[in-house]
Amino acid sequence: MISIKDLTFSYDGAESPQLTRVNLEFAAGEFVLVCGPTGSGKSTLLKAINGLAPHFTGGNLRGRITIDNQDVTGRLPHELAELVGYVNQQPEGWFVADTVEDELVYGLEQLGFARDRMSAELARVSKMLGLQDLLDRPLSFLSGGQQQRVAIGAALAAGQRVLLLDEPTSALDLDSAAETVDLLKALAKEHGVTILVAEHRFHNIIDKVDSVVVVNNDGTVAKGYTHWSFEDDLRQPAIAGADVGEPLSPPSVEWALTTSELTVKYADQVAVSSATLNIKPGQIVALHGANGSGKTTLLWAIQGTGNGSKAVSTGTVSVAGFGDPRDLKPRERLRAITMVPQRAADLLFLNSLSEELAESDRFAGVTPNSTATIFAQLAGKVNPALHPRDLSSGQQLALVLALQLVKGANLLLLDEPTRGLDYVAKRHLAEQLKSLKSQGKAILIATHDSEFSAQVADTELHLIDGVIQ
Amino acid sequence: MTQFSLKASRVQPASWWLLGIASAIVAGLNINPVMLLVQIAILVTIILLAREYAPWSQSLKFYLALASFVVAVRVIFRIVFNLPDDSSPIALSLPQLSLNLGFGGNITLLGNLSSSSLVSATSDGLRLAAIIISIGLANTLANPRKLLKSTPAALYEIATAISVAINLAPQLIESLQRVRRASSLRGRSKGLGALAGTIVPVLEDTIDSSLSLAASMDSRGFGRRGFLTKKQIISLRLISLCSVVLTSVGVFLLLVATGSQLIALLLLAAGFLGILLTVRTTSKNSIRTRHKKETWLLQDYVVATAAIAAVTASLLGWQT
Repeated sequence: MISIKDLTFSYDGAESPQLTRVNLEFAAGEFVLVCGPTGSGKSTLLKAINGLAPHFTGGNLRGRITIDNQDVTGRLPHELAELVGYVNQQPEGWFVADTVEDELVYGLEQLGFARDRMSAELARVSKMLGLQDLLDRPLSFLSGGQQQRVAIGAALAAGQRVLLLDEPTSALDLDSAAETVDLLKALAKEHGVTILVAEHRFHNIIDKVDSVVVVNNDGTVAKGYTHWSFEDDLRQPAIAGADVGEPLSPPSVEWALTTSELTVKYADQVAVSSATLNIKPGQIVALHGANGSGKTTLLWAIQGTGNGSKAVSTGTVSVAGFGDPRDLKPRERLRAITMVPQRAADLLFLNSLSEELAESDRFAGVTPNSTATIFAQLAGKVNPALHPRDLSSGQQLALVLALQLVKGANLLLLDEPTRGLDYVAKRHLAEQLKSLKSQGKAILIATHDSEFSAQVADTELHLIDGVIQ
Repeated sequence: MTQFSLKASRVQPASWWLLGIASAIVAGLNINPVMLLVQIAILVTIILLAREYAPWSQSLKFYLALASFVVAVRVIFRIVFNLPDDSSPIALSLPQLSLNLGFGGNITLLGNLSSSSLVSATSDGLRLAAIIISIGLANTLANPRKLLKSTPAALYEIATAISVAINLAPQLIESLQRVRRASSLRGRSKGLGALAGTIVPVLEDTIDSSLSLAASMDSRGFGRRGFLTKKQIISLRLISLCSVVLTSVGVFLLLVATGSQLIALLLLAAGFLGILLTVRTTSKNSIRTRHKKETWLLQDYVVATAAIAAVTASLLGWQT
């Protein structure tokens, strides 16, 4: 179905190509996992197949790609629209319409389907994906899993035989992720769609696929049909440099954080109800819960500023040595609690790593290089002239952690820290957290990555519809 | 049978735009400050009554702020760059400043301000304000995505650019809020510009999101054209550009009312003819189809009739 011959792709100004002499063949109805470390050419490989690379990403492509015996090399995405469906990492950013039905027919309208055929295709695709009852719904009212199904439906509505998905499960909770994978498998087996999924959270997909493609950091690619032969490659030892200073004696308080009957409301809607939780110094607590269960809201309520001005919290919160964070001045709050939000990169705003580190020292009023030392302990050696946006997700997270830790807070709140991290980076983060724990820091992690929390957490809590179970 | 409703989403976006443009024309022809204030009040009332919760309908505050700013600037300019006028009583007496710049004689600033020039400055400002709020009405009430669907193929590319831009504003506000919250988590040392910390991540976010919208539309077939040669496309674009220029000049002449009305109307007619021509040619060659035919309901006819009636009435009033 798809044949890739001698494909080399490089971004302008990059030292080494993203993809180097790639040769791959995919049969009709094949379900393929594309994996590899963050920053390897996984997404680029998918984008090259439907023309988004180089037409939207820039860069230079050599080699030959054929789909269904047509040479598609260098063709524009809209010229391939009826051959290839593409689903982006965050479907909500890719929606072009307001309702499910309008979203599903958008491609058909662009491709000039006649009205009666359009209705037939709409019926077919909504049945295939179980969207019949959702057609009139506004897209913004759907759950993450439902949005993902709409995005897949919209990509297949014109009868596309090839489906490319970039990290379809990374923003979903475990159940929705498993459902999405089963759905993809069924599409491949029953409808003969060739499916390529780029994913680094692959433990719940690897058993379902027919074949695995590994994209290495040097741009080379290997394909195989059983997963065990790749496991050794991917589970390589973590990068050295993660040993954080000597363990300090834990602070002599019993609880680092106590909350009781903490309730958060938006207008008249209860987001978190009567949350009571206590964390000791040197304890890591994982907070699980589906998308929208109130995890983020709870973290912001503990942090004290609330998630947006409209959230109202009642009940008690107390941080050892500081009292109720809601009563603290902004600067004091930063010394009491360190919070890393879902998009850690939002906290970065200067033009180089060294400027970020220096600004952090200045703000915290500590001796120069304090932040750099913590960062080096977390991330190893990194070129200080790099732009923060050019760091890998794992390095960005380490940088934000360092900026926050230098202020000396003993309570850490992390919101979905493993989002966008590959296996190696995740292992690395786990080690960082364990060494922070040995220094007596109390850590609360909101996550739906149960594999990760099993590695690090002492206690696991579940938040269902705003209630801690 | 659906019920009559004047809520934003129940009326065709084209009707809202018709009303907005009509109201802008009425405002342009109006020189009475009291009537302009009444018109602004009516527009704001319509927006408040009809708007529903949607990302693009939260910008009324922005339009009001812009309108007040325009009025203030207009009045302040008139006070500062005052032309002596002895025909009406003095409303405001300020010390006069004479500047000699070494060329073109003396420039006088401030000084005695007559009541008639104060009134005319205010009504100039109010007229612009009413036009701004008229466009604001269309922008806050019409769903940009639905409008995009009903645009003729010839204007499709321009309309796409506009609707991507309209989508940008709410996205900008959303990411601004998120980044501000995030930077409060980190804190920022004094000497560091507040702008640097907010603008960089916000712009990055916004540009990313509009690029991904464009990538998404392209991946699903947007941008396909029918069988037009490159030459045809270029000449069509030229004709549509000229028509837009002709129409604008026509509207301008009609509004300032210094030139001949006949010329203005002829220019307008030529402009509309050109637009009609390009719309027809490209529509024939467009491969784009529509899933549902948009039907005009009672409320659309009510809004459209009101718009046309308002323009006709004010044109007649201005003629006599």
